Formats: sequence, C-alpha cells, structure tokens
Amino acid sequence: MELGLLEISSLAYLIASMAFAAHVARPVGRWGAFGAGALGIGFVLHTGGILARLYELGLLPVTTFGEGLSFFSWLIVGIFIGISGRYRLTVLGAVVSALAFGLSLAGVMLYDGGAVVPAALRSPWLPVHVTLAFLGNAVFAVAFAVSVVYLVQENLLKSRRRSWMITRLPSLEQLDRLNYSCLAWGFPLLTLGMLSGGIWAVNAWGRFWSWEPREVLSLLTWSIYGGLLLYRLTSGLRGRRAASLTIIGFSLVVVSYLSVNLLPLAGKHGGTFGS
Amino acid sequence: MATELLIVGLNHHTAPVEVREKAALANGRLDSVLPRLLGLPGIHEAVALSTCNRVELVACCEPGEESAVALRTGLFDSTELTADLCGKHLFELHGREAVRHVFRVASSLDSMVVGEPQILGQLKEQFALSADADAAGPILHRVFHKSFAVAKRVRTETDIASRSVSVASVAVDLAQRIFETLEGASVMIVGAGEIAEAAAQHLVSAGVARVMVANRTYENAVELARGFNGTPVPFERMHSYLPLADLVVGSSGGGEILSADAVDALMKERRNKPVFFIDLAVPRNFDPAINSIDNAYLYDVDDLSTVVQDNVGERKREAVSGEAIVEEEVDRFWQWLEQLEVVPTIVALRDHAETVRAEELTKTLARMPDLPDKDRERIDQMTRAIVNKLLHEPTRSLKQDRPEKEGLALISSVRELFGLGKKS
Repeated sequence: MELGLLEISSLAYLIASMAFAAHVARPVGRWGAFGAGALGIGFVLHTGGILARLYELGLLPVTTFGEGLSFFSWLIVGIFIGISGRYRLTVLGAVVSALAFGLSLAGVMLYDGGAVVPAALRSPWLPVHVTLAFLGNAVFAVAFAVSVVYLVQENLLKSRRRSWMITRLPSLEQLDRLNYSCLAWGFPLLTLGMLSGGIWAVNAWGRFWSWEPREVLSLLTWSIYGGLLLYRLTSGLRGRRAASLTIIGFSLVVVSYLSVNLLPLAGKHGGTFGS
Repeated sequence: MATELLIVGLNHHTAPVEVREKAALANGRLDSVLPRLLGLPGIHEAVALSTCNRVELVACCEPGEESAVALRTGLFDSTELTADLCGKHLFELHGREAVRHVFRVASSLDSMVVGEPQILGQLKEQFALSADADAAGPILHRVFHKSFAVAKRVRTETDIASRSVSVASVAVDLAQRIFETLEGASVMIVGAGEIAEAAAQHLVSAGVARVMVANRTYENAVELARGFNGTPVPFERMHSYLPLADLVVGSSGGGEILSADAVDALMKERRNKPVFFIDLAVPRNFDPAINSIDNAYLYDVDDLSTVVQDNVGERKREAVSGEAIVEEEVDRFWQWLEQLEVVPTIVALRDHAETVRAEELTKTLARMPDLPDKDRERIDQMTRAIVNKLLHEPTRSLKQDRPEKEGLALISSVRELFGLGKKS
C-alpha cells in the first residue's frame, strides 16, 4: 500500500480522536467540527491508499495481517461516517477514531510488502468471502464501541453522580437502538460471509466445512450474535445485557482473528496463505 | 463635549423585591422618564433597563454630581419611592465600570441565576424601546450593540448556559439521557398536590404526551388530570396502569408506595422498556432498591438537588472564563472610546493655540507698521515654533496608550486646563 497516505491517515484519525474527546470534555468552540474534518480527511487519504494498492495488486489488499488491519480500520471509519449523519455521537466518534488510529497504525507498522495469493486459491468467491467477513466484523466493531459507551452512560445514570458527563453522552435509547441496527446488519453479513467462505472452500479445498480453529471460533461468534438477535426480537433482551453480550461477541471476533494470524493455530485460514 | 458613561439603578444585589417592583419602569412610565431625562442640560443619551431583577438608567452625560442627581430623580419620578428612602439600595457606576456592567448583564453574568438565557432578549427589547424613543445616541448604541456581541461570545466560548439549575429541568435532562426525547412519552403521577401539578406542567411542556394521575383521594386526581387532558386513576388500580408509564413521579404523602419487587414484575410486563422513577416525596414513595433493577432508574429529591448544586458550581466555574472575556472586550471598547475623545481634544487644543497666536501676532504687528516683511516673517515663525514646542509634549502624551481611567481623566484635565469645554 501507499505508505505515505496510510501514515497520514492514521495520524488524522489520532487528531480526530483527540478533537472529539476535547469536544466531549468541554463542548464549546469548534472541536467537534474539527474532529469530523480530520476524520473525513483521514478517510479520503486512506481510501486513496487502499485504491492505489488495489490497482497495483489487482485484488483486495488484505493478503497480509497488516493490510487486513488497515482495511478493517478503513471499513470501521466508513461505517461510522455513514451513520454519523443520522446520530449525534461525538463521544462515539472519539472511540471509533481511537480504534481506527490503533488499527491503522498497527497496519502501517506490520506492513511487509504484501503476499502473493497462490493461484490455487484464486477464485471469484475469495473477494466476496473476504469482503463480507470484513464488513460484518467492522459493523460488530462499531456495535462494540456503541456498547462500551452504553455501559458507561448506564453506569453514570445509575450511580447518580458525576452528572456533567451524563449530558455529554448520547441517550441510552439511542445507543440501544444503534446497537440493534448494527446487530441487524452485522449478523446477515456474518452469515453470508461464512456461506460464501464455504462455497469458496468447496472449490479450493474440496469441502464446505473442515472444523479448523477459525471456523469453530466463527461458529461460536455466529451463535452468540444469533442468540442475541433472537432474544432481542422475541423476549425483550436489551440495554445492559445486550451491550455486554455484544462486547463478548466482539471479543470472540478479535480472538479468532488474532489466533489465526498470530498463533501457530493457523490451519488453512490466516492472512499469509502460507500453508 | 466631555462626556461620561454613568449608570444609576438598583438590582437584585442591592435591593429587595419590594423595592424593585415599585421602581419598575412600566411601559407608560418609561415613555415619560426618558424624554424628561434628555430634557436636562447634562444628559446626552439615555437607556432605561427594567426587568424583574433590575431597574437601571444608563446615560452618557456631563461628568459631575448634577448628572447623577438627575438620573436618581428620573429613576423615582412618579413612584411611591423617594430618592432618599432608597438611597441605600442604589448603586452608581462610572466610565469603564459602567461599560463592564452592561457587558456583564448582557452575558448573564450579573443574573440571579448566572447563565440564564432570557436576559439577553430582555436587554435587546429594552434597548430597542429607548432607541425608538431617540434616547440612545451614538455612544450608547455602540455600548449596547457591543454588549450583544460580547454576550454571544460568552455563550459560544464558555459552557455557562448548558447546565440545568433547577430540580425540574435536571429531571427532564436526565429523562432525555434515558429516552432521547420525551415526545410521545407517558407519565404516571402519584399524588395530586402542588408538587404533582408542577411536575406535570414541566413534563408536558417538555413533550410528554400522556398524563395519568393516581391519588388516594380520587376527586383530586380527576381534577389534576383534567388540567392536562389526562387520565385519573383510582389509587388501588394504579398497578394495572403502571406498565403504560415511561416516567413515574412520586409526590404523595404516606411513605413507600412502590416496592422493588413490584417494579421487578413491572419490568417483565414492560419487556424491559426503561422506566424513570422520580421521587419528589418526603418520606420517599419509591423503594431505593428499585435503582438496582435493570432498565429502571430512580432519582429522589436529594439526588436531583445534588445534580443541581453540581451544575450551579460548574456554571460558576464557567462564569470565570466569561468574566475574562468581558474584561477583554471592555479593554477593547475603552480604547475605542478614548480614541473617540483624544482626536477631537488634540484638534481643539491646536485650534485654541492657533487662535491665540494669530490674535496676538496681529495685535503686535499692528503696532509696528515700519517692520520690514522679512522681520514680520521671522516673528511669525518664532510664534509658530513656540506653539509647536509647547504643544509637542501634551500632544504626545494624549496619544499615548493608557490604562483604565487615566486616559479619560487626562483628556478632561487638558480640556479643563485650556478651557476647551463647551463650544466644540
């Protein structure tokens, strides 16, 4: 990827995060608008970097762990920008930008030139599978950030102290609704991602499902989000418990992503296509 | 025209409400006070401010005790009050202090509830009345328009107005942090007394769509409900109506009415839709343990008062930043005002000197008809040099930047010493 663009965009995310935080701490002046501007500029540069790499590689630049993180942070910022028109969520902007900064910085630091995908694995289903899986996980990352803010706000309201923060954070209702929207988008994406992966696996490896660690962890994640969605719809599960389950679900996403990329558990998944 | 800004008045810092209400400039009285004031020789411009917290006359006038007396008289003209009786409630501000006062009033730093937003609108209205009556001239126009700009700056650059400082508005704030909006929400009010009515009033104006009133004496519930187009609920049937309520306000006598167990069951019936319990009763109507139930939030009077105190404290902290902005703007305004006085003073001083020189020169030369033109020229040059040398230092001194009152004091000294006074 174009390192210059990526480094600058990462820095822009950091600036955005700090500006949003400043606006939450003392909502006077133009810090909020400044943060939004920095985030927008970062996103445009990031998009440029990813497009440049896409053009160069001829396929989605997610062949290495570093590239994957960078692409993931780009999706998260994109989703946040997409929803921020409908919600007034400065504090979420601070959390999401900080997350994007961490991920994209790691992406820049772990950058090692990108790998070549073995011809055997090339198939039209690969980009479909990878895009859906990344998109689903990015939506869950936003849901995670929303849930963290929910728990903080809930805690503040219950504790009946530190009142000044309460008015700075979004309402519980709004956070809960947003959490549900993320779930309602993320779960179908996750499901489709897993299905398209199976179809690709049939082509590449000869079978739909092979019980490798990544697949098992994904199935577990899928059941948690599925159960959460089901109970939300049928028996009024919401609020603090829904937020906690969303956080647990996303922790599993992170664990399964890291386990195949960083631990020798890799199996056939994992960014490097090494096996 | 050596002028001075002067404010004479009384406000909530200096006078009790009994005095303020008698001094209030009701519209009729305002119409007569301003023209009479402006009819007096020393008063050039005047603006009258009259709100429930203050009655103040702001004037641009000749310095001196007569102006202050005139304003005092104007203030109490045709009221039951006499200047004498109210002397101890009056305050008087001059020059820079007066500018600062107008800026502070506009920015709501001088309000009883610091940061309350109404004062700016009132000030604009009152200024418009005086301006329409042609009582406000160029200086006061500038003072007041500047004060509106300062108020806007204070509002945008500090967090002075964002905290609620009454129990009712804090409760609405909190409800909006739970539900986002109260539009379309339902409230159950337990009790039908004054507190119940005030709470219902406040919640309805914040958007609550449906009011239910439960009270031990059913007739009172009916009466209160009627006022809000609401539903009266017999006390013993309250529990069957509770699941409909997003907010529950307790203001009934006789202690606990809702237990945590009852709320536990209620939450199941509501499928965990959040409920905000506001306990305004002493002794409390709602079991404190309700707060530990998921999606139920409970605040009692003490909790709300704590938030109010917190917010008042925060407003005071923000007011410090507000004062700094006001100070900066007063400085800037004062410089402008001084410039306004300095240039005419220098011109007047030079004109005066030139007049004297020309007169004396003509007189002297008339007595020496035989003097050659060359010598006449020399004498003329000499007198010019004397004038220039004498005036050099005073001119430089007048133009110099000076702090505070010094500048204006110097200008009036110069005018006094050289008798530049009235005619220019």
